[in-house]
Amino acid sequence: MRIYNNLKIWIISFGTKHVVKLFILAPSTFFEICEVVMLSVSLDIGSITTKIAVLDCKSLLGTDVSLTSYNVEKAWQDIFRKTLGRMCLKESVVDRIVSTGYGRSSVGIANKTITEIKCHAEGARFFLPTTRSVIDIGGQDSKFIRIGNDGNVMDFLMNDKCAAGTGRFLEVMARALELDIADFGKLSLLAKKPSPISSMCTVFAESEVISLISRGESRENIIAGIHESIANRMLSMVGGSGFVKPVVLTGGVAKNIGIRNALEKKLNIQIQVPDTAQVNGAIGAAILAQKI
Amino acid sequence: MEIFAYFDTGHEFPEEIVMAAGFSPVKILGNVHVGTAVADEYLFSYFCPFARGCLAEALGNAQNWVGIGFAHGCDATNRHFDVWKAHVGKTPFFWVNTPMKVDTTAKGFYGKELRRFIQTLNKQYQIEIKDEKLKDAIRLSNEAKSLMKQLASMRTEKDISNSDYFEMTRKAVQTPKESLVADLKAMLADWKSRDPFPAEKVPILLTGSDVTFVEWMELLDIADFRVVRDDLSLGERYFTATIPEMADPIEALVAYACSIPQPATRMPSDSRMEFLVKVLDETKIDAVVSQNMKFCEPYALDAVWSVAAIRQKGYDVIHLERDYTPATDRQLLTRLEAFKEIIQQKGGSRNA
Repeated sequence: MRIYNNLKIWIISFGTKHVVKLFILAPSTFFEICEVVMLSVSLDIGSITTKIAVLDCKSLLGTDVSLTSYNVEKAWQDIFRKTLGRMCLKESVVDRIVSTGYGRSSVGIANKTITEIKCHAEGARFFLPTTRSVIDIGGQDSKFIRIGNDGNVMDFLMNDKCAAGTGRFLEVMARALELDIADFGKLSLLAKKPSPISSMCTVFAESEVISLISRGESRENIIAGIHESIANRMLSMVGGSGFVKPVVLTGGVAKNIGIRNALEKKLNIQIQVPDTAQVNGAIGAAILAQKI
Repeated sequence: MEIFAYFDTGHEFPEEIVMAAGFSPVKILGNVHVGTAVADEYLFSYFCPFARGCLAEALGNAQNWVGIGFAHGCDATNRHFDVWKAHVGKTPFFWVNTPMKVDTTAKGFYGKELRRFIQTLNKQYQIEIKDEKLKDAIRLSNEAKSLMKQLASMRTEKDISNSDYFEMTRKAVQTPKESLVADLKAMLADWKSRDPFPAEKVPILLTGSDVTFVEWMELLDIADFRVVRDDLSLGERYFTATIPEMADPIEALVAYACSIPQPATRMPSDSRMEFLVKVLDETKIDAVVSQNMKFCEPYALDAVWSVAAIRQKGYDVIHLERDYTPATDRQLLTRLEAFKEIIQQKGGSRNA
């Protein structure tokens, strides 16, 4: 018998297929067997970070994020073992594993690989079931996903192989500004007038930022300008009429409040951001694993 | 047999005239594994990488060729002719000015141009290309085209990988026609014995820029897409029609050039769309993959309206921009696989 998740849920392993979930209903030692549930794990191997989500049929049991680094296999193996270990779960109790992200095919133990496009759509609907549009900005690409009334992906658009408008773009700009990328969001809120960044190319945009620094432009204004350039790029990729509400923003870049604000202003729509935005694809993959 | 190489961004070059001259026509396709560094000395890197790859091949191999022919494909090839002449050794160069349109004036012009090409070859190599030789070349060419058409039609029924199909179309333009016919016959026997079309594969129509290296076709294989129809020059444009066997072989070549599906480099675009619609009507396909190689402007210009027109017909279509590289493009693979997921969740195509 194992205890995890703040001692609220107990898991007993029966062979390798199913787990029985028990709830503590009172401070006493009284237990009620609720149901046979399926335990699914997902691994979302992105260009910068690897994400994991653990799910039973009703609830998200846990998530984690680690750096992908150059060794993709080691990245997913480490986070997989670490997360299961932290939750006192053996690998044998996991029923389904789905991998997603650019490194999805490297996960040999996966029952299925699913693209991050489908996973992000599913993850966004887990957060907000009525979601119709998803903007996902990750480390090396940005995506727009349109979801139909039936909850399925209708269409999607992705940036070309170019770092502009992605997490990498922000990392390069943070380096030029000698700032921690985590500070970008709050600093951009202090901007008086965003400095326009006209270059779409990351390399040229970095030169532009350096020119703005040398002209004495404030960091806050430059950062706000960088966020606007990402919003502009998303708008030009999708077109103004492409965004159907409700719109959910996912991916690691969604943690940046400045990006959200710039997108809302540029697209003139309200955007929802889940607390789990960075692991949204992994959550979606774990949900889809339940359906295999 | 001596090799007469030709640079043709479509299927415009009259191979049969070269065959009648006693040479083996070989289409220059570049070598994506070698790269374009040698050519980049003469062409900036923002020009079509396929064209730069072809120039790189010519710079390395022209001494083995008896001549180099150019056909007017996309407009940029006009200027490539001058660049090549200036930098690619002493091999004789020939220009065949193919018409942009297929009206009466264009046909008259093209007939004169083909006769001029024959006269130039006769003079350069001290030969005489007679009508009978040209008719023989047309017959041989037609035999190959007929076999290719038979082979291509098996894509909907049998387990013919995209790579296998690509290899067949590549051979057609890079192998002496006599041995090509024997190869195609052997291939036909092999393909007939193949397993049925695999259930997990998604049958598609492939349109856009010519695919000139097998790795891109393999990418489609990895994503479980199976090209069962196409409108590529290194594909159905090459063999969808045979050359009419007429009394005047030049008139036959003119009639042929004006009857085959038109590429994005030709105008008006209607006939290109007509062919795509015909293909969609006559073959069960689940989706359309439209692609253009980076810096290939004719297809990039074409893509917006052609994709919209195909969607209007009720088909799922994805448009991709690809690079000139043999490396597996993970991002393109993700797009293709996501596209496949959309098609599969719909339960197949309108024709399914």
